[in-house]
Amino acid sequence: MSPITLILIAIGLGLAGWLAGRAKAWSFQKSDPEVRLVARPTYHAWYVAVWIVVPVLAFALLWSIIAPQLVTQSVLASPAAQALPEFGFERDAWLSEARAVATGNASTVFNQGAEALVGAYSEAISRYNLIGIVVTLLIAFAGGAFAFLRVKPDFKARTRVERTVMVVLLLASLVAILTTFGIFASLVFETYRFFSIVSPADFFFGTFWGPDPMSSVDNTDGAKYGAIPLFWGTLFIGAIIAMIVAIPLGLMSAICLTQYANPRLRTWVKPALEILAGVPTVVYGYFAALTVAPAIRDAAVAVGISGASTESALAAGIVMGVMIIPFVSSMADDSIAAVPSAMRDGSYAMGATKSETIKRVLFPAALPGIVAGVMLAVSRAIGETMIVVMAASTAANLSANPLDRMTTVTVQIVKLLTGEQSTDHPTYLSAFALGFALFLVTLLLNIIALRVVKRFREAYE
Amino acid sequence: MTVIHEKLEDTGAKMRARDVSVYYGTKKAIDEVSIDISPKYVTAFIGPSGCGKSTFLRCFNRMNDTIPIAKVEGLIELEGEDIHSDAMDVVQLRARVGMVFQKPNPFPKTIYENIAYGPKIHGLAEKKPDLDAIVEKSLTRAGLWDEVKDRLEDSGTALSGGQQQRLCIARAIAVDPEVILMDEPASALDPIATAKIEELIDELSGRYAIVIVTHSMQQAARVSQRTAFFHLGKLVEYGPTSDIFTNPIEQRTQDYITGRYG
Repeated sequence: MSPITLILIAIGLGLAGWLAGRAKAWSFQKSDPEVRLVARPTYHAWYVAVWIVVPVLAFALLWSIIAPQLVTQSVLASPAAQALPEFGFERDAWLSEARAVATGNASTVFNQGAEALVGAYSEAISRYNLIGIVVTLLIAFAGGAFAFLRVKPDFKARTRVERTVMVVLLLASLVAILTTFGIFASLVFETYRFFSIVSPADFFFGTFWGPDPMSSVDNTDGAKYGAIPLFWGTLFIGAIIAMIVAIPLGLMSAICLTQYANPRLRTWVKPALEILAGVPTVVYGYFAALTVAPAIRDAAVAVGISGASTESALAAGIVMGVMIIPFVSSMADDSIAAVPSAMRDGSYAMGATKSETIKRVLFPAALPGIVAGVMLAVSRAIGETMIVVMAASTAANLSANPLDRMTTVTVQIVKLLTGEQSTDHPTYLSAFALGFALFLVTLLLNIIALRVVKRFREAYE
Repeated sequence: MTVIHEKLEDTGAKMRARDVSVYYGTKKAIDEVSIDISPKYVTAFIGPSGCGKSTFLRCFNRMNDTIPIAKVEGLIELEGEDIHSDAMDVVQLRARVGMVFQKPNPFPKTIYENIAYGPKIHGLAEKKPDLDAIVEKSLTRAGLWDEVKDRLEDSGTALSGGQQQRLCIARAIAVDPEVILMDEPASALDPIATAKIEELIDELSGRYAIVIVTHSMQQAARVSQRTAFFHLGKLVEYGPTSDIFTNPIEQRTQDYITGRYG
């Protein structure tokens, strides 16, 4: 029995319950006009429908997990299973082939021995399908009858239905939260394994990064896992170079759009800026690698810097900065626009010019929002991978020279996880420690940004 | 046709408007209004909502320039100078003609910075002590000094509504204007704060030419010496406040004063 069939059955039964519940609620009113229903008939209808659909779906979920196992068990108990090979792999192959033929997913078996099991499978599957349908109907009937009997004029169906709706909404939001917790837990677990091999002191304070996947698992050299060059590269590219580009350009474009641009220009420029945010980072990546990086190399050579490479932190940082301009500018735009126009009028009425008003009144008032935008932009930038992979190399390098090759935490994580290696090796596990550190930093930045935004909101209410 | 009372003796107008019309897009909000603003008196603009009195008030310091669709026609003079002429800089004009808004709008800065804002941008104080003196003098004139002298570093937005409005008046005074325009300055305040504002207007009159837009006829009667009644974008009647309230010439003024409409 496929899940679709079950869902359709649930919906069909639910609809029947809905109509029955409404009809019963109506009948109270029809038989005695004096009777006032506490809840409208539709709510009684939904109450019955919920009591049918929810248990049926819960059973369907459970059944889809246990039914295949019951089928396999009954096949193994059948006489045909005596011919099965003892060896685990071959045994599994026979079973799955027979199941595929029995369910119609394959026409013939590859191993002739499996042929005998097809009949057993077909029989077991149809038996358990029947059981499933009968139990489904029983559950639907029991749930529906329970709810139907409770439909009375003074029954508060609305509060029950609304509570159900609230639970559904809560579950929906829990999915996102639980996913975050799941990610966090998996990171914590693997990070713990890593730190039981390499000491945290080596990791957080070491200045040499060069994990060797070929080294022995037992004989690990903690000195090769110094993450400082990676943290520095991340900071230098994402938080320094990119921000030097993005903050002034983003703010100036926001000021231009909110204060100087006429409405027609604004309707063109604002969406155009927002398109920047929608460009895939890979596209930025090859723009950085093929256009910006060589241009920087040529410029560096032209002013007499020898040995400039086509892979530089500067190229990656600049392009990353351009990428996050829309983040900075749209947050700044919103928070400048949110400053009450009474502030602006007050300043103009004092004889302030437009630029004095922006500088002394609008900008300070909008500052918390702007700071929050910058924080979000930074956390986006330090989580960015593709541009750095393509433009700034994968070589860890502790240097303050923006023309040097550099790498970031995210790039190393990709590099560490894409090779073929043992999942017990510290080289592999170090990726999780890096991810954990990155997660903590971006989490912190986001929390700060949200708090700042909250304070900003309170200021004008 | 505008009725100008004969008893309106000429005191040498501070500001003069001649045939001023204001358009919002194609809608005519003010229709050929001419008026003289006396330097010695408080002039009140009264009239029903939407009659254009606030719009007209905003002509005197060219605040309508900040509204893209607004267009002002006609002549407005300050001390005989055309305020729309090239010789008159709008920044200078607004320093000479201050404005107080309907809703108190202190900047989200300290009380001190709120007052110092104007003098700083106009370069009125060379040194910190000069600026301190301006802040104290302005707050004193606005009757706020005693209440805030110990907390000049607090935010201006932390004050009560009435205090905020007096802070805004002090802010306008700080650049030493010749005219102060007030757009319903007490309509967002409670009766006690309103009484304080009215008292303040009384004290400031004579030193500054004051024009006040108000919804409250009692307020106009209490604080002003000249009253102009606007209706549907036109100036209906202009004269000494006592005459307008006790002996209006126009039937429409009479109806409005006695509360028959508006």
